[in-house]
Amino acid sequence: MTEDVSLIPEAARARIGTETGRAQGRVVRQEFQRWAAAVKDRNPLYFDADFARSQGYRDVVMPPLYITAVTAGVADLDALRPDGIPGAGPGDVPLPHTPRVMGGGESFQFHQPVYDGDVLTSVRVIENIEEKHGRSGPFVLVTSRTTYTRQDGTTVAEAVTRTIARP
Amino acid sequence: MADQTYFEDVSVGDPIPVLSVTVDQTQLFFYSAATYNGHRIHYDKTWATEVEGYPDILVHGPLQGALLARAVTDWAGPGGRLVSYAFQNRSSAFAGEELRFTGTVTGKHDDGDRGLVDLEIRAEKGAAELLMPGTATVSLPRHG
Repeated sequence: MTEDVSLIPEAARARIGTETGRAQGRVVRQEFQRWAAAVKDRNPLYFDADFARSQGYRDVVMPPLYITAVTAGVADLDALRPDGIPGAGPGDVPLPHTPRVMGGGESFQFHQPVYDGDVLTSVRVIENIEEKHGRSGPFVLVTSRTTYTRQDGTTVAEAVTRTIARP
Repeated sequence: MADQTYFEDVSVGDPIPVLSVTVDQTQLFFYSAATYNGHRIHYDKTWATEVEGYPDILVHGPLQGALLARAVTDWAGPGGRLVSYAFQNRSSAFAGEELRFTGTVTGKHDDGDRGLVDLEIRAEKGAAELLMPGTATVSLPRHG
């Protein structure tokens, strides 16, 4: 494989296999209900505690895909990239040659229901950073694995996230 | 919300009902707000079109993923549980486009007093342009 100029700087390549993010967040009913409303998902499990209890849960349930938002950080608005993304790039991996970033896909395993008041810790490890060639030219694919753990030490979910960065 | 789907009533090859959604700028903004997402391609049309060269502001990949999951959990009913879920973003979707979310049952497995159902799922737009292929596994209750 020949590459005239790599799109992946050494500083980014050095992140492969390392932990690049550890964050904590409290699950708040009103916030996950706002998320469900933004998806227009009016599932009564997320909104009606009596209904959720009738289905065997102890309270309204957090929508499973909301989990990625629970531990989102607090951005420094004076340190944003020009496109509004905080930090250096996807997963805080510096990719200056490929600034156009978009979601590439996600894969989740959900082990336990999550409720209002739970405190989750997310740990993100960069699994791979690869240069690829698609229909619209070269791009960089960043794959990271995030584990979400509850305050009692139980792993409630795991996620593999792929982010695409284009020149 | 649909009625409950029971494991015994599901067969390999069954389709799940199509969820059809047209996401507008307002919904995109609310999703950005709910996820603390400041990425300008999702709300700043000038940035999206003139700087990044897109035809309009983009529907977030994870929002498409959430809508596809909604198609699955609506079909499964409130006694269903999403066990695993994966999607790939293949193509971009833009504000104002009609998006369709659906899937097909591909497998069934016993799991104690419940059952597991595997699905192939997908999001499309236009003339069956594939936006996102994916897979899901749902735990379903049995009758009585």
